[in-house]
Amino acid sequence: MSFIDGLKALIRQGAENNIRIIWNIRIPRVIAAAVAGAGLAVAGLIMQTNLNNSMASPSTLGVSNAAVFGANLSIIAFAGGFLSTGNNVSNYATGANPYATSLMAFIFSVISILIILGLCKVRSFHPGVVVLAGIALGAVWTAATTILQFYATDVGLSAAVIWNFGDLGRATYKTDLIMSIVVVLSLVFFMIMSWRFNALLSGDAAAKSMGIDVEKLRFTSMLLASVITAVCVSFLGIIGFVGIICPHITKKLLGQDHRFSIPATALTGCILLLLADTLSRSIGNGSALPVGAITSLLGAPFFVAIILSRREHV
Amino acid sequence: MLSISDVSFRYSNRYPMVLDGISLELNDGEIGVVLGRNGSGKTTLFKNIIGIESPTSGSITFDGVDLSTISRRERAQKIAYVPQDIRFGSLTVYDTVLMGRVSYFGFKSGKHDQDVVDEILCEMGLESFAARNVQELSGGERQKIAIARALAQEPRMMIFDEPTGNLDIANEQLIVEEAKRVAREKNISILTSVHDLNLAMELGDKFYFMKGGRIVYSGRDEIFTVENISDIFDAQIRIVDIDGKKVIINSKGDK
Repeated sequence: MSFIDGLKALIRQGAENNIRIIWNIRIPRVIAAAVAGAGLAVAGLIMQTNLNNSMASPSTLGVSNAAVFGANLSIIAFAGGFLSTGNNVSNYATGANPYATSLMAFIFSVISILIILGLCKVRSFHPGVVVLAGIALGAVWTAATTILQFYATDVGLSAAVIWNFGDLGRATYKTDLIMSIVVVLSLVFFMIMSWRFNALLSGDAAAKSMGIDVEKLRFTSMLLASVITAVCVSFLGIIGFVGIICPHITKKLLGQDHRFSIPATALTGCILLLLADTLSRSIGNGSALPVGAITSLLGAPFFVAIILSRREHV
Repeated sequence: MLSISDVSFRYSNRYPMVLDGISLELNDGEIGVVLGRNGSGKTTLFKNIIGIESPTSGSITFDGVDLSTISRRERAQKIAYVPQDIRFGSLTVYDTVLMGRVSYFGFKSGKHDQDVVDEILCEMGLESFAARNVQELSGGERQKIAIARALAQEPRMMIFDEPTGNLDIANEQLIVEEAKRVAREKNISILTSVHDLNLAMELGDKFYFMKGGRIVYSGRDEIFTVENISDIFDAQIRIVDIDGKKVIINSKGDK
């Protein structure tokens, strides 16, 4: 489709096929890239601030690992694998139902979040405890996924592996709407709390002395950041690196004032994922490469360049 | 007036008391200095006053109001804290000081908040720093910014935990002058801890010597005796008079 055809299709002119491609395939994909990019990037920023750890990202709490386990369980055990019909390939269609798999991914993400937040409540949300509990639980989900995959049939295994690749092509208007509601509401909450996040940068004791209920802020914002991650990963698969690279870029360029870094990080996430998706479709020779691989592949060198640059605001 | 009555504190039932029957009173505009060895309970006492920890028993009142009965925000508007470990985000000096107003404005600062910050920056001679990133400042300047931020809370009392710990002598003098100015001009009571005994005498009106979670000696500078100091710090010292001023010197190794 030429550029002009594309523009025409956008205003519902031209060939019917083009209009269908633009409105039924491309636009939901673009919306998903923008929303998930913004959501994952801001989730990373909020986790870095809350955990006082610049390496924290949406995967720190093991949310992504839990989603992978849930999706793999859905694909391998409940439809395409050993528990039901062994190597019955025809039954795989059930497992391919994107909503069933996404729902399982989401359920396990939420279970993981609740376990972590429950554990951390015991130790008053000390950032170190949250990070360590997240790493430990993430390892458990990864191990469980490996065991599951070990017993999987060839078909189940390949379906599971393909699900793990982040793919914006799975997006529909329905999934976009759900992701948008979660991301927009969370962003509004984060913006309202921006001064409190700024105070948190001075340490827990200083923030508390300024009148901030640090435990409550940390619990609520970690929960929302995790839910953003859970929703995006459940619908789109693993999209790595957006949550770590975008906050670092904005912090390097604009400093850590959350009044500016939250919207700027959201915008950076949007742009990064849109660019990565465009690239994944352009270099895939007809089929789109996994966008998660593109974000990591191109993001990592850029990230290193940013870290090594002279400007020091982080 | 701050009134601490028989306050004890421990982190859990499995651990011994960190504070044991602490009582003290500090009037408006007075500077109280808490002295003691590391681990004697000074920081824990401060955390109990600010509300980071809650006393296991006893009560802390300010102007007759039990601090455990008011919200965190209300407490922040009465008592401000300058911690020992000063950390800032990568923000401008102006925004860092404005952050002290967060218990008043919550989401977005108003004109009054900005006026308060302007006035504090002006009083402390920090106007020219306003647009600078706080990460670029020296230790002494950062300490001043932390005090400015605490003042932005418009507190009735301030708590400084080791305010001169990592400063050179010039900055140490600046901070002492600043603390005295705040107490005198704004009638704010200050409770602080310092390790340097001579600095303590220069700074304080009242003194509290802590050991093992208890206040062992309290009073004016008459409590700075060789016996008391040796008892609290387990150190060998001499007290000499220089131009009518008491000066404590290290006597370990003297013949």
